[in-house]
Amino acid sequence: MRVPIEVTVNGKAHRVEVDTRTVLADMIRDQLRLTGTHVGCGTGSCGACTVMLNGRTVKSCCILAPDVDGQEIMTIEGLADDPRHLHPIQEAFVVNHGLQCGYCTPGMVLSALQLLNENPHPAEAEIRRGIAGNLCRCTGYQFIVKSIEAAAAKMASKK
Amino acid sequence: MPVRRYDQPQSQGSALKYVGAEVTAVKSRKLVAGRGQYAGDIYLDGMLHVAFLRSPHAHARIRKIDTSEARAIPGVVHVLTAEEVNRDLGPLLYTIEPEGMGAKRAQLFALPPKKVRFVGEPVAVVAAHDKYTARKAADLIEVDYESLPAVVDCEAALEPGAELIEPEWSDNLLGSRDFRSGDPDRAFAEADGVVKGTVRTHRYLGTPIEPRAYVVNYDSFEGRLTFWASTQHPHQLRACLADTLGLPEASVRVIQADVGGAFGLKTPFYPDEALIAYLAYKLGRPIKWIEERAENFLAGGHAREERLHYEAAYRKDGSVTGLRVRIIADVGAQSTLQGCWMAYVTASCIPTVYKIPNCEIRLQVAVTNKCPWTAYRGFGKEAATFLMERLMDEVAAATGIDRAAVRLRNYIQPEDFPYHQVSGSILDSGNYPAAMTRLLKMLDYDRFESEREAARKQGRRIGIGIAHELMPEGCTLPSSLISGYDGCTIRVTPSGDIKVLTGVTSPGTGNETGIAQIVADTLGADLKRIFVVQGDTEICPFGLGNFSSRSILIGGAAAREAAVDIRAKMFKVASKMLEVMPADLDAEDGQIFVKDARSHAVSFADVTRAIYRESYGPHALDFEPGLEVTRYYRTPNVYHQPQLHPFGGFSAYPSWPYGLAGCVVEVDPETGAVKILRYCYVHDSGKIVNPLLAEGNLHGGFAQGIGGAMYENLAYDENGQLRTTTFYDYTIPTAVDLPHFEVEHQETLSPFNPLGCKGVGESGIGAPLSAICSAIENALPELKLQLRETPLTPNRVWGAIERARRAGNGKA
Ligand code: FES
Ligand code: FES
Repeated sequence: MRVPIEVTVNGKAHRVEVDTRTVLADMIRDQLRLTGTHVGCGTGSCGACTVMLNGRTVKSCCILAPDVDGQEIMTIEGLADDPRHLHPIQEAFVVNHGLQCGYCTPGMVLSALQLLNENPHPAEAEIRRGIAGNLCRCTGYQFIVKSIEAAAAKMASKK
Repeated sequence: MPVRRYDQPQSQGSALKYVGAEVTAVKSRKLVAGRGQYAGDIYLDGMLHVAFLRSPHAHARIRKIDTSEARAIPGVVHVLTAEEVNRDLGPLLYTIEPEGMGAKRAQLFALPPKKVRFVGEPVAVVAAHDKYTARKAADLIEVDYESLPAVVDCEAALEPGAELIEPEWSDNLLGSRDFRSGDPDRAFAEADGVVKGTVRTHRYLGTPIEPRAYVVNYDSFEGRLTFWASTQHPHQLRACLADTLGLPEASVRVIQADVGGAFGLKTPFYPDEALIAYLAYKLGRPIKWIEERAENFLAGGHAREERLHYEAAYRKDGSVTGLRVRIIADVGAQSTLQGCWMAYVTASCIPTVYKIPNCEIRLQVAVTNKCPWTAYRGFGKEAATFLMERLMDEVAAATGIDRAAVRLRNYIQPEDFPYHQVSGSILDSGNYPAAMTRLLKMLDYDRFESEREAARKQGRRIGIGIAHELMPEGCTLPSSLISGYDGCTIRVTPSGDIKVLTGVTSPGTGNETGIAQIVADTLGADLKRIFVVQGDTEICPFGLGNFSSRSILIGGAAAREAAVDIRAKMFKVASKMLEVMPADLDAEDGQIFVKDARSHAVSFADVTRAIYRESYGPHALDFEPGLEVTRYYRTPNVYHQPQLHPFGGFSAYPSWPYGLAGCVVEVDPETGAVKILRYCYVHDSGKIVNPLLAEGNLHGGFAQGIGGAMYENLAYDENGQLRTTTFYDYTIPTAVDLPHFEVEHQETLSPFNPLGCKGVGESGIGAPLSAICSAIENALPELKLQLRETPLTPNRVWGAIERARRAGNGKA
């Protein structure tokens, strides 16, 4: 069965018809073609599919698309539209080599964003806890932690 | 024929400016913004989606398959079974022919015609308009199985009368190998003591966060198959697809999409790859398949699970004089994947970094009813390291000599290289004692004893452990497309920009950045003007992709050779323009100048202008037009012909990087919980092209090594059912599970590589197994623990503590 839903994604209103079995991650990827949202497990364990739903991170593989009717979503594409003007968190990931294959990265960046929104000066242990729902198989997390520390410092100095 | 050496620094190329610098990865900006293009991100018009029906049995005969219900579902386009596919397709191609390694071959088909050999083996495939429909239909296929006894233990598999897995074989032995040196019997007879036991690695896998993913299109009018893949090996995959589908190899194009991690798992040839290609070919519709996570656990390729029975003869001074090892490897079902060769590598690395004159090493490789091994970072070297490091600790305990001192006593010395190991392997270079000294300093090893006692007084049990891993790279096997050569084309445009096309690929680690650095320095070019292209069989020179840390080691060397030729030609033209001899020229930042008159210079663009626009002009007329070169590099110190080997043997690895890990752990003896407090690593991969990327890569190796040592486990039950098929029960480390890593590099240049490189990609993954065991034992010295098995879960550690206590250890 297909149902129509209305969602705002990265500030833009969309009206889409979705199969009622469709998870949010698939709708974002297959219908809106925002492929920066990745799927690594489909069971809510890896965090590659992390997006912001009404300003808070969620794992979009575990939410049915019809359930987000009328709500607001931000994906990684909503964070930066221009390679010359990345978000400070993204810039810090580039400079500190906070990513390798990049598959976990969109989710990681959004989890970092949520963390820094709530706690602008996190300690290392708090950063590690803040990204514990996002698995990365390439980096061993150390340069991710370093990137988030650098972003926090940069963002604080801009305020 | 003397082997080429590169000991003397090369005069070719400019001074190193980018090589050795922390250049950020070229792809990061795109990937961090979510603009990568992974295979799953490709959408083609009219694309169908695929779902696999996989065997629920470890071992069973297939009596009958009924697909009628599945076919009846609206949206289902095709249901494929063995009967149909095996009429059209030949057996799957092996990228490494078993005979080349003296092993047995099984004829394997895309779908098994008669019986299934492991849980997860594909049995049927559905193509449908969407993936939900495909999945539903696959689940409605009825298969009548006749269950057979499952062979799940590798030693039982080798016993006479064991159930046969491959009916045309007379036993379950895939292959075996023996190495012998000196006089082991005498060494044991004359020993002061002998230690013996069994070391076991458990089964685990690489499981990249991006599962396997493919999109295929067949254009029947042009007769061309295009295959976008999350793969490490575009050219090998092309060979496999063409051969199995019966298509001309040149009509198949494999394009590597951005790869979301690979670690060895994305090497061909999976039957799944053949099946989706066949469906695209047969149906004339594009096909997309993205593996589900559970499928990756069941059928995406496993690794590890070796038993190493050992005995070692030692002298009172700690020197090990004799070694006997019997290895039994459980490689799962036979497949066309490359994984089973990991067992051979384990055998050929022993006794790793130690000089043990009298050795007897026997390897037996058994097939079982489990998922086949695929390549995985470490590639068997981790097991050799685990054995030798556990053994050194045991000799230390038996002789009462310090663990570091025992290793120093047994090390191959710097002046011994190139060193010839019992297997025929020739170790290129190294300085183990210096690396050990450095590690001990990092750890403040001598002070640790007092720290340990101080912690103990506070009721905390901490311990220190060390382990020395040996990680040979550049794997080169006979009768295979796994070899020590690769190609590079450099194409300079009329405006002076530099396109570098390589046969090596990146699995997401950023070697394209390192290759650009090498080319920039060799040419004296500005790094920003270099564009590296990889992973497309239609555009790139033939090459073997990414495995065994070869991308810089071999791909970088090929790029350097090509750049040397480009430089020579540009210098010839520039010398005419500047009216000096080419030998008087040097280059930097895209300027070619006279060595002792820097202002007397021409730019790359001036030279390319002369070459392309003034081909009949005074500077270019003497030379062939164009500015493009393809060069192949072949690593020199590999021996497949015994008569060329300095000692009449076989040596598959040109390069032998190594690393020393030291860790401090805290153990809770009441629960068995272990926490890593410090993790230090001294690393020697020869010349490091990009320290930032190299270190990032090492961190990933530590994380996977620690994950394997402590958290990850593919658990099969006695019926061959896999119990761990999600990230909830197969627990890879999160950010909170891992410590902060401390890394130091030592650079002992390889004399057999133009840049002195040795390969970084697998380093770090081998040492944690023994280093953590060693640290746990050291935290509770009174218990005299002997940890020989992984993973070191609280349950296993607690069990070992309890057994030791019950045996009366630790009582005053
Ligand atoms: S894909 Fe959603 S958590 Fe892994
Ligand atoms: S960068 Fe590859 S999974 Fe995180």
